[in-house]
Amino acid sequence: MPDTFAGFHAEERASVPVLWRRDDRFKTVRVTFQARRPLDCRAAARSLLPALLLQGTRRSPGRPALLRRMDAMYGASVVPGVEKQSPDHVLRLGLDAVAGRFLPGRPDQLGDGLAFLAEQITDPDLDGEGFRESVFERERRQAADYVRSLVDDRNTWAGIRALEVACEGEPIAIPSTGSLAEIETLRREDPERARQDFLGAGEPLVVAAGAFDRDEFMAAVDRFLAVLPARCAAPVAGEPAWVEPRPTRRLVERVVLQQSKLVGIWRLPPSDDPDLWLARRLFVSLLGGGPHSRLFREVREKQSLAYAVQAGLDRRSGLVTLRAGLDEQAAESVVAETLRQIDELSAGHFDDVELETARSQLLGSIDSVTDSVGGLCRYAADHWLLGVDRDPEALATAYRSLDRERVAASFEGLWLDTVYLLAPSDTAGSIGERVAEEGA
Amino acid sequence: MSDPRFDIRRDPILGEEVWLATTERGVGLRVVPTDRFRESVAVVAVGYGSTDLGFSSEGAVHRSPEGVAHYLEHKLFEDEDLHVFERFGRRGARVNAMTGFTRTQYYFQGTTAFEDNLADLLRLTARAHLTDDNVEKERGIIAQELRMYEDHPEYRGFFALLRRLYAEHPVRHPVGGTVDSIAGIDVAELLACHRAFYRGGNVALAAAGPIDPAQVLEAASAWDLAAGAAPERHCPEDLGPADGTPELVPIALARPRLLIGLKERSLVDDAGERTVRELTTRILLDALFGPGSEIREDLHHRGVVDDSLSASYTSERTFGFAVLGAESDDPDRVATELRSILSRPLELAPDHLERIGRRVLGSYVRSFDSQRSLAFGHCDEGLEGLEPFGTLERLRSITSEMVEERRRELCRDDSFAQVLMRG
Repeated sequence: MPDTFAGFHAEERASVPVLWRRDDRFKTVRVTFQARRPLDCRAAARSLLPALLLQGTRRSPGRPALLRRMDAMYGASVVPGVEKQSPDHVLRLGLDAVAGRFLPGRPDQLGDGLAFLAEQITDPDLDGEGFRESVFERERRQAADYVRSLVDDRNTWAGIRALEVACEGEPIAIPSTGSLAEIETLRREDPERARQDFLGAGEPLVVAAGAFDRDEFMAAVDRFLAVLPARCAAPVAGEPAWVEPRPTRRLVERVVLQQSKLVGIWRLPPSDDPDLWLARRLFVSLLGGGPHSRLFREVREKQSLAYAVQAGLDRRSGLVTLRAGLDEQAAESVVAETLRQIDELSAGHFDDVELETARSQLLGSIDSVTDSVGGLCRYAADHWLLGVDRDPEALATAYRSLDRERVAASFEGLWLDTVYLLAPSDTAGSIGERVAEEGA
Repeated sequence: MSDPRFDIRRDPILGEEVWLATTERGVGLRVVPTDRFRESVAVVAVGYGSTDLGFSSEGAVHRSPEGVAHYLEHKLFEDEDLHVFERFGRRGARVNAMTGFTRTQYYFQGTTAFEDNLADLLRLTARAHLTDDNVEKERGIIAQELRMYEDHPEYRGFFALLRRLYAEHPVRHPVGGTVDSIAGIDVAELLACHRAFYRGGNVALAAAGPIDPAQVLEAASAWDLAAGAAPERHCPEDLGPADGTPELVPIALARPRLLIGLKERSLVDDAGERTVRELTTRILLDALFGPGSEIREDLHHRGVVDDSLSASYTSERTFGFAVLGAESDDPDRVATELRSILSRPLELAPDHLERIGRRVLGSYVRSFDSQRSLAFGHCDEGLEGLEPFGTLERLRSITSEMVEERRRELCRDDSFAQVLMRG
C-alpha cells in the first residue's frame, strides 16, 4: 500500500486501508467507514438497513435515545447510509463532529464519536436473528410507501424511468432502494444478513479529514476496527459491462403534470485512460455544464425552449445524460439541438473563451472541494473507488493540460441509447400510463 | 490589521472576526477576512421580496402584479456588453440569485479574481438593463420555471395553505407569481420597482474568504446604487383568524399529504425580539415533532405518522407561520392527533434546553467551516440590523416557561388551517 493516496496519508490498520488528512484550517472532523459490495438483488435489504440501525442500539434502544446522544456530542452527526454507486452498493458510516478543542472541556469528540459509530453498526437492537418484528415491519412499510411516492416528484421519476428503460438488465438499472416487490417480500432477517454481509465481505475503507491529531485518530480507529467482526473482503468487479451500440429507443409516458420532463441517455465507450475521462468531463461542461454551456445559451437563452437544461456524465457507467423541463412540443427540438451541439463540439467548433470558461468551472469546483472536510473525504473515497491516485492539485494540472483537440475527440464512439419523455396526461390519476413506444 | 473605517467584532467562543462598516449611500457591509480557505463568497441582499406589492411612489400608492421581485431578479442578470454568467464563468466562479418573501439575494463564490467578481456582482444589481424585447423573452423562461414548480406537490399545497392562513397579505401568492400575473409585467413596472427598492439603505453586503476588507469597502463605496431607504410599504395587516375550513387540493399522488398551518396573530417589529421568538418556536416544534422527540416516536410507534412528518417555522416583520406536513393513508387521524398534541401543555424534560444549547453551539462552531454559511448569515443579520454573534446569547435567554407560553400563543384554535392533497 502506498504512503499517500489522492492527497491523503495512507496506512493499513487491521487490514483496512485508512486514508487520512489532518487539516487544521477546519474546526470539525469527518470520518467515514465504508464497505463496498456489488449492486445486486439484495438492494432492498441493504437500503433498509440504515433506517433500522437508527432505531437504536442495545445500550440506547429507540431513536430518541440515539439522537439525544448526538445532541450531547454538540450536534454531532453519527449516521449510517447506503448509497448506490453503480455497479456497487456502498455502506457508509459517517461521523461528522466539531473538534473537541473548540468546545468547553475539550471533550474527545473523535474517540466518542467512533465508539458510538461502532456501537451502531455492531450492536443494533436485535431480537434473535433479525431486527425486532414491530420495528422492522414499520420501517419496511415506510420504505414501500417511499418507493410508491417516487412518482410524485415528476423530475426524479423521469430520471428513474429513463435509467430503467435504457439500462434494463444491467446492475445500474437496479433501484438503490430495491424494487417495491422486493421490499414487500423482505423478512426481518434480511437486513440483518445484509449488515453481516457488508461487515464480513464488504471491501472496507476508512477516510478522515479535519482538525485531529494523527496518533489520537489512529488510536480511535484501531479501537473502532477492533470491535468489527472478522472480515474476508470479497473483491468487487469494478467497471460495468460494455453495451454494444443499438438503435435508439424513444419512449413517451404520461402522467398528470404541468411541464414535460425530457431525459436523453447517451453511452460512451469504456476506457482505462483517466485523462480521457477528464476530457469527456470538459466536453460535457461545454455542452451542458451550467450557464456558460451551449445548451443553456442555445436552448434556454436564445430559443426559450426550456427553463432548466443540463448535461451530466457518470464516470463509472459511461452514461451521458441530458435533462430538460419543457413543453412537450419542444422535446424533439431540444434533442435535435443537443445532437447538433454535440456534432459542433466534436468537430472542434468552439472558441478558446468557451473552452477556458468550461475549464475554469471545473478548476473552481476542485478548489472548492479542498475547502470542506466533506468535500475532501468524498474526493478521496471516489478516487479510491476509481483506482486513480491523483491529488486535487494534480487533477487541476491534468485539466489544464488538456488541449482542444483532445476534448473534441473525447466523445468519439458516443451513441444515443434512449430518449425518454414524461409528458402531460389529459386523464387525472393516470400515473405511469405508458402510451407510446417507438423503435429507432 | 486595523482600519478606523471598520468596527471589528469578535465572536465570544472562537475569537473569529467580522468587520462592520456602512458606506455613504447607507449600505451595511460585513466582511469576514480569513485565509483559512481558498474560496471567497460575497452576498448582496436587497430588502425586497414577493410580498412588497404596494409602496409609496411620487405621492401615490404603487401596486405591482405578483411576481415582480422575481422577474426583476431574472432581468438583472442581463447586460448590454456580455452575459453576466459568462463573465463569472470565465473566472471559475458560480453566480446565482434567489427571491423570497421579503428579500432578494445575489451571490457568487469562487477562488480567483474576487475583486472582479465583486465589481460585477455590484454592477449587475445597481442597474437594470431592460428593453421590451428582453423583458418579453424572459417571460417565456419564467413561465417554464413556474410550471416546473407547479409539478411539485409541496409547492402547490404550501401556497394553498397560505391562502387559507392569509386572506389579504401578499404572502399568500407564489413568490414567482403566476403565468397570468407575470403577463402584466413590463419595462416600466420593473424600472419602478428597481428604483424604489434597490437603494443603499435597503441593501446589505457581506463577504467571507481570503479578502481585504478595505478593498471590499472601496468597491461597496463606489457601488452605483441610489442612496436612501426603501419607500413606505403598503401591506395589509392580516392578523385575523385563519380560514379553518379544510381544503382538498386535487393532485395525483401515490399517498395523500396533509399540511397544517398555524398563523401568528401578533407581530414583533424588533428584529432581535423576533429572533428570540423564532428560536423559542423552533425549540417548541423540535420538542414536539423533532427526530429526537418522544412524542413523535410515540406517533411513529403507533403507526400514526412516518418519517415524512416535518415541522417548519417562518417569521418576518409582517407575517409568521408554522407548517406541519405528513404523508398518510389516514390523514384525518393524523390531523386530529397533531392538533391534540399542539393543544396540550408542554413540559420540557429538565435537560432539554441544555441539549438544545449543545446542539446549537456545535452548529455555531461548525458554521465557521463554511464561507458560504458565514457570508449568508452575516448578510441576513446585516439586513435585519442585528448585532453579529448574538445567537448563543439569545438562546440562553429562553426558558421552558417561554416555550410553553409560545405554544399557547401560537396554537390558538382559530389560527389553524388545513390542506389535504390527494388524487
